Amino acid sequence: MKKRAVKVAVLIASVSTVAALTGCTGAGAGGSADQGKADPKAKVTITVGDEPTADKKADRATFLQHVQDFEKLYPNITVKPSTEYWQAQTFQAKLAGGTLPDTMNVSLTYSKQLIDNGQLPNMTPYLKQIGLLDDLNPLALKNVQDSKGDVYTVPYGLFSVGIAYNRKIFQEAGLDPNKPPTTWKEVQQDAKIIHDKVPGVAGYAQLTTNNTGGWMLTTMTYSLGGTVTDKSGKKSDMGAPTREALQTLHDMRWVDDSMGSQFLYNQDDIRKAFSAGKIGMVLQAPDIYDQAVHLYGMNPADFGEGALPQGNGTNGTLTGGTIAMFNAKATPNQLLAAAKWVKYMNFEQYFDKDLAVQNAKSSAASNSAVGTPGLPPVKDSIYQRYLGWIKNEINVPLDQFKGYTASTLPLIPEPADAQNTYATLDPVVQKVLTDQNADIKQLVTSAGQTIDRNLAQQR
Amino acid sequence: MSRTLEVNVPRVKPQRRRGVVRWYRSGGLTAVLFAIPVVLIFLYFSWGPVVRGVLMSVEKTNLVGPALWVGLNNFSYVLSDPGLPQAALNTAYYALLGLVFGFPVPILIAVFVNELRRYGWMYNLLAYLPAVVPPVAGILLWKFFYDPSSDGIFNSILGWFGLGPYPWLNSEAMAMPSLVLYTTWAGAGATAIIYLAAIGGISPELYEAAEIDGAGIWSRLWHVTIPQLRNVIFIMMLLQLIGTFQLFTEPFLFTGGGPNNATQTIMLKIYNYAFVSGDYGAATALSVLLALFLCVLSVAYHFVTKRWSPS
Repeated sequence: MKKRAVKVAVLIASVSTVAALTGCTGAGAGGSADQGKADPKAKVTITVGDEPTADKKADRATFLQHVQDFEKLYPNITVKPSTEYWQAQTFQAKLAGGTLPDTMNVSLTYSKQLIDNGQLPNMTPYLKQIGLLDDLNPLALKNVQDSKGDVYTVPYGLFSVGIAYNRKIFQEAGLDPNKPPTTWKEVQQDAKIIHDKVPGVAGYAQLTTNNTGGWMLTTMTYSLGGTVTDKSGKKSDMGAPTREALQTLHDMRWVDDSMGSQFLYNQDDIRKAFSAGKIGMVLQAPDIYDQAVHLYGMNPADFGEGALPQGNGTNGTLTGGTIAMFNAKATPNQLLAAAKWVKYMNFEQYFDKDLAVQNAKSSAASNSAVGTPGLPPVKDSIYQRYLGWIKNEINVPLDQFKGYTASTLPLIPEPADAQNTYATLDPVVQKVLTDQNADIKQLVTSAGQTIDRNLAQQR
Repeated sequence: MSRTLEVNVPRVKPQRRRGVVRWYRSGGLTAVLFAIPVVLIFLYFSWGPVVRGVLMSVEKTNLVGPALWVGLNNFSYVLSDPGLPQAALNTAYYALLGLVFGFPVPILIAVFVNELRRYGWMYNLLAYLPAVVPPVAGILLWKFFYDPSSDGIFNSILGWFGLGPYPWLNSEAMAMPSLVLYTTWAGAGATAIIYLAAIGGISPELYEAAEIDGAGIWSRLWHVTIPQLRNVIFIMMLLQLIGTFQLFTEPFLFTGGGPNNATQTIMLKIYNYAFVSGDYGAATALSVLLALFLCVLSVAYHFVTKRWSPS
């Protein structure tokens, strides 16, 4: 009897293992979005990312309250929150593995690449269905559309790149902390003065690794009136402005010696060094403020942000920030529900005064920055009204961002195949900063050829 | 003749039937059923990714939409990547540096610790300690050591002797040796433990005989220890070679492949194809090429070292 029981158990175990493995193989084939057939009243469950972790008590409580309120508002939608959030190292793997929530926030820099790769669902019908499309800032929308004008993600936490500077270091160097440099010539001059008068401080520092080198070289190229890829997105298009940007960096590094000794900076490292007072100026969007002050303990009074320095005139700046992305494997009903969630979470506050004040208060209570200047996700009139509602809760010293907020630089979207293009340009910037005899012209030409090759593979 | 056949045929059949019955009664079926889940799990989780990887190397896929068969396109793409020769050279350079400078260190540590009559455990512990530090923590720590400013830890120490400051990771020439220095620090202890165990297995009589013959420490090392360790050394060398060709964590965390691709390795390229560009086809194509290369290397290594091994 006993023996037979063992045999039966083994048989069941084998069969169930085979079944489980077959199940595994089948997983991931999930239904793709059949656009435009969403039923707004259908019962649906969605998973949403960015639930604050347990250490951020106030934020988490507010978030969970939002989930409850949202479910009350839409009784047919069940929201399953997840603490999943965007991390550069794991994002692509999770996206490929299909383990991301139905909607979560992602860095804007992935927008074009994900659209081109067909890794995002077309959200136009759903955004139209919930009436969000018309309220979005048209300037921001450019970053999340394909060539046909279809919208794939919702941009909401956007910034344009500016120049962050340390006001205390400016004072120590005898520079006016209310006058950040507005041209690259001024950047070079100020950096030299800082280097000469404040020992142990790099006048200006540049991002160079993990694709940030290319990212900032692109920004500099834009500010000097150039482009990196052409309008069709099929060819590289770098010329004199890119070479001029590299020449400026070369001169600051090798002629003035005003860039310190560290030339392998990634985003985290440069923000830490800037917050610790080791860097006078660095290209950063204003969102650095929150991290610098609340995470790395920089004195808020020392922080300053100016507009992106230009070559001559007002050529433009690069946009960056956060978008809400959606899972390509979600069903139409889930996508519609997820779009409603994104609208509720990120846009309701621009139309509901109580909610605006409540959100701002809870952010301030959990030591987050409130009122950081940026590119409004909604039309300017709606945004100004919102700022009026939360003006008592704003904890960011807006006066110190004046150079940035007063500027009206044109916003230029990222180049084609952004991350790959940036990766190709990283070593170019590194070469110029670590090799005095770097041949700038040859570097740009050969990087252009590599970008062309990558773009051809993308097609 | 025909009689013999008539006799033989009925004899064979019952034997076979009896064999099957006996096999069943003695638990043969149970054994097979027990084995099935293990074999399937092994096939699915161990060989599944390998097969999937090979398949992906001939596809264009983002793992979201349907995959497209592209034949050898991914292979020609990665092979014509202008950065590939440098990545391959960097990887080979790292392997060479590791072999020349990193490889003897654990052997020397093991011999040194073995020679100590007292407190051997303490040196053992000290040597092994770096292996306990998680690589990410270790690398972050060493980033401070490699700080290129004159108040960086290494630069300060060298400054006392009037040397430096050196740019360490910020220089194309110094970046790769700096990585080798770190990996030697991190890996030598764990390898030394293996050598120590192997040295423990060497017959003490050999040393006694050598001592009677007047051999000093270097003579004993050269004529007794190393010949006796030969097999372990060959295996460890192969493992180190395979490991060095898969170098990823250190350049990824220390330098991101820079400066100017001086620490760009094959594995880092694979990572960038997959997780920066989302081009899984190219990533798996290069992985397949690396795996093939390592297979060839292992076979070649086997035949070369076979001639030197005691039969």
